[in-house]
Order: sequence, then structure tokens, then C-alpha cells
Amino acid sequence: MAYKRNSDTLNRITLCAVSLIVFAVLMFPLYWMLVTSFKKEIEIFQVPPTLFPSVLNTDSYFAQLKHGDFNMFGSFKNSFVISFCAMLISLVLAIPASYGIARFQFRGKRLCILSFLVTQMLPVSVLLTPMFILFKNLHLLNKQFSAILSDATIGIPFSVLILMSYFASIPKELEDASRIDGCNRFSAFLRVFLPIASPGVIVCAVFSFLYGWGDLAYGMTFLQDQKMRPITAGIFNFMGQYGTKWSYLTAFAVVTIIPVVLIFVFMQKYIISGLTSGAVKG
Amino acid sequence: MNRIRLFFRYGNIGYLFVLPAMLYMLALVGYPIVSNFILSVQDVTVTTLNAPVKPFVGLRNYRMLFADGVLQTSLVNTFVFTCCCIVFQFIIGFALALFFNRDFSFAKPIRGLLMIPWMIPMTVTALMFKFMFSSNVGIINQFLQSWGMIGQPIEWLLQPQLAMFSLIVANIWIGIPFNMILISTGLTTIPPELNEAAAIDGANKRQSFFYITLPMLKPVIESVLLLGFIYTFKVFDLVFVMTNGGPVNSTHLLSTYSYKLSFTLFKYSQGAATANILFIILFAVSVMYLRFVYDDKGAA
Repeated sequence: MAYKRNSDTLNRITLCAVSLIVFAVLMFPLYWMLVTSFKKEIEIFQVPPTLFPSVLNTDSYFAQLKHGDFNMFGSFKNSFVISFCAMLISLVLAIPASYGIARFQFRGKRLCILSFLVTQMLPVSVLLTPMFILFKNLHLLNKQFSAILSDATIGIPFSVLILMSYFASIPKELEDASRIDGCNRFSAFLRVFLPIASPGVIVCAVFSFLYGWGDLAYGMTFLQDQKMRPITAGIFNFMGQYGTKWSYLTAFAVVTIIPVVLIFVFMQKYIISGLTSGAVKG
Repeated sequence: MNRIRLFFRYGNIGYLFVLPAMLYMLALVGYPIVSNFILSVQDVTVTTLNAPVKPFVGLRNYRMLFADGVLQTSLVNTFVFTCCCIVFQFIIGFALALFFNRDFSFAKPIRGLLMIPWMIPMTVTALMFKFMFSSNVGIINQFLQSWGMIGQPIEWLLQPQLAMFSLIVANIWIGIPFNMILISTGLTTIPPELNEAAAIDGANKRQSFFYITLPMLKPVIESVLLLGFIYTFKVFDLVFVMTNGGPVNSTHLLSTYSYKLSFTLFKYSQGAATANILFIILFAVSVMYLRFVYDDKGAA
């Protein structure tokens, strides 16, 4: 018995060790990017490569602040504004829609669900050219509003489908009870259903924000002025201009993923639930 | 007015909730899809973009695209890219899901952290891999050289097949967490009693994997593969940033080729036609996926 327990612990230690190796291998690209952003340009070219910067060099970050010929922080703000507004639109439209689908019967409901499902799988490329012409005719090109409007089209179907299952899982008796207590349909929705579905709302907020944050195609196509563009388009421009200045480029990339990592650290539970329910049920 | 009120009072009140989102999506997704079709049978370039009446040309855009030949390359590339990515990210994701399904203290936190590659913007991933595959400073060449496996640095992104290989590697890296987490969730739905019973009946680990785990996971596996196909088939950012279709149009996918036609060459109609081909293929697969999900629900 004692022997068995020993081999069990040994087994677990091996598993932990293997999992650390797997982790190190898969995360290496991210580590490499981070390390490179703190290296001097000369060290990057060094053979054999150094796994850790010999001198911690923060110039790649601060150079952006000083001359700002390429304003990393300006485009960071743009990305934030665009993703946040797109998230708000998604939530404002998706919450009532998902509630309507989950709680009421109406003709064309199935078609409605199917069309949300299909839009979730649409490629961005199909919408780009016609949207470009549409926004051009509406004089929205080069205004951040165009990127906000188009980014929200990714968040809405996702949010509707996620929240639909949240609202559907709330027992009907709860609604009846709230009606008896004097709520009408709208206040029942606001005071009873919305609070219960709030974890779902957070999942949708997180994903809608991240969709906007990661978008390159819309932001780059509809916004021509670099001052307006989101950070992903900023990186792309920067690559065109300073193609081989890897210390600056990686610093730019690190700044881009900081919010993603922060959201991930604090909202991991929601992200994983969103991913699995969105994909398997969706 | 009264009739409208009556319509919404009984049962149809659901429409009121759904309508705003529906209208939004119709304007910004439905209308563009239709106008993309129309665009593809017209001749709209930068010169005719502002003309009130656009010339109708039938299928000429499609014929010209096929005559040019890059379309076929991108079509083949898109399928090769998608299939290679799916196969490897599925196998690796499955292996990792099985591994992290075992009971040890690091399993959950590490499996959670491995989701990060899936969350970060593809532009960043593309930059990262472009750096690692670069011929003079890339770590991959530096490693291969220091181990003496290659003499000269390999120009990963400058040769057609190697460039495609690099793109596939980068996309697999993104896809692994997605496959892993979905299969992990599937694994947790298999009741442990099944494996225990099999073990009592004398089944070894391999047998219980092939005769219990795999059949039980079949619906999950099918949906992971179909979704993987859909997500990979429409990849744009990664290829756009890493190679932008180069060298000499050899790594274009349908999505990047369509973008190039529309926004570099300003042949909007040809861009729309290419996007349409992409749309039709994806639409067919999506319908397949949805039917499959619905059938599954019907059976349950």
C-alpha cells in the first residue's frame, strides 16, 4: 500500500513536469516576443541567440512616447474606443433579442436563430467590399463609427446565441412569480431575468470587446488616416515602415496583447465558458 | 394603431425584442451579402465606383478570374491550408485534452493558460511568427544552424512551399487551444463508470479509448472538425500580415486574394466575385454543420 502511494506521487510529479514542458513549448513564441522587446537591436542579431536580454532595454517602449512618429499609445486608445463602443452596441441589441427568442413564441423564430448562427460563420471578406461602398456612400469612411458598426456585427450573433441559452435555462415559474408580484413583462426582464443572466452578459461583453480588439480587416479598410486606426492596423503599418526593427515591432505587439492578457487573467472562467458553450451548442 | 397594439399583445411581443438586432444585422450583414452578389455581376472599378448606373456584365468577372489563374491557386491554397491545419491542430489538441484530463494539480491552471494563443489578435501572432521564421534573425534558423542541421539560413517566407508551411505552423499554434478545450469539455461528459466497468471486464487502456472514449466523443469530434474547417477557411489577418499572398501570389487564400483585388488593385467587382466563391463554400459547410447540430439535438 505504501509502495503504491509512492508510485502514485511519483506519477503525479511526472505529469506535472510534462505539463510544464508542454506549457513552455507552446508559450515559447510569446516569451520570445516579450524578451525581444527588451533587447537592444544588436543583441537580437546575436548568434547564438540569448534566452534572456543581457541588459534590460526599455527604449523600444519609451521611444514611442518621446518622438511618437508612430503613436502606439494613440492607436491603443483608438482600439479601446472602437472595441468598447462595439461591445456596447452588441450588448444593447443582443440582450433583448436573446430574451425575446428564449421566452416568446413567434413565427419565424427558427429562421431567426438560424440566421444568427449563419452570420457567426461568415467570413469578414464577404462583407468588406460591399461595406466599404456602403460606408463610402454614407460618408462614414475614415470615421471610427464605421469600424464600430462593423465590429459589432461579429459580437451580436455570438452574444444572442450565448444569452439565448442563459435565458432559456431560467425556469418559467420565476417569471410567473414576478408577474404575480406586480411586474410587467419589461420589468420582469429588467429586475428578474437580467440579474440572473449576468454571468452570460459578462461572457458576451468580454467576447464582443475581444472581437473588436483583434479586428484588423475592418479597421484597416474603413479608416485610412493613421491617427484614427486601431492598434492592429498600427502594427501592420509599422511593419511596412520599419520592417526589420524587431525590437520596436515586438514592443508594439506586447502592448497590443496587454489588455487581452489582463482580461484573460481576471475573466478566465468566463472566457472558457463562452468558448465552449458558444461553439458546441452554437 | 390599434391593430399594431393588438398584434404585439398576444404572443407576438417577441418581435419587439428581436427587431432592433434583426434590423441592425439586416442592414450591415444581409444587405452587404446581397450587394456583394450584385457587385460580382457588375463591372465596378475605381473609375465606375461613383457612377449612378453600373454596367451589368454577367459572369464576366468570374471568367476573367479563372482565366487569370491566381484564383485557382488561392482556391487550392485555401483547401490545403485548411486541411493541414485541421489535421494537426486536432491531433495535438486531442492529445493535450487527454493529457490534461488526468488528475494532477497543474492540470487545470495550465490548461487554462494554454488558451492565451487563441485569444490574442491574429495580427500579433502573425508578427511573432514572421519574426521567428525570418531568415536572418529568426530563432528557427538560428537553432537549426547551431545544431548543424542546415548550412545556409533557410528563406522560410520567400519560397512558395516553405511560406505555406510557415503559415500552417502559425495557424496550428492558434488552433490547438480551441480543439483542446472543446475536446476537454467533451471528455468531462463521459461518465467515469463506463471506463471503470470496461476495466473490470478486462479492457486495457487502448481498448477503452477506441471502444468507449472515441464513440462517446463522436458528436464533439464532428462539431470540432466542422467548426475548425469554418474558422480556418476564412482566415485573413494571419496570411495578410505574414506573407500578404507572396511570394508572387503563391500563398494567397481566397480571403486575401479578394482583399488584394478590391483594395490594392481597386477591382471591386472581381474582389466581390472571389469573396462570393468563398462565401458559397463556407455557406455550404455551415449548413452542413447546422443540420448536424440539429439532428443531434433531435436525437437527444
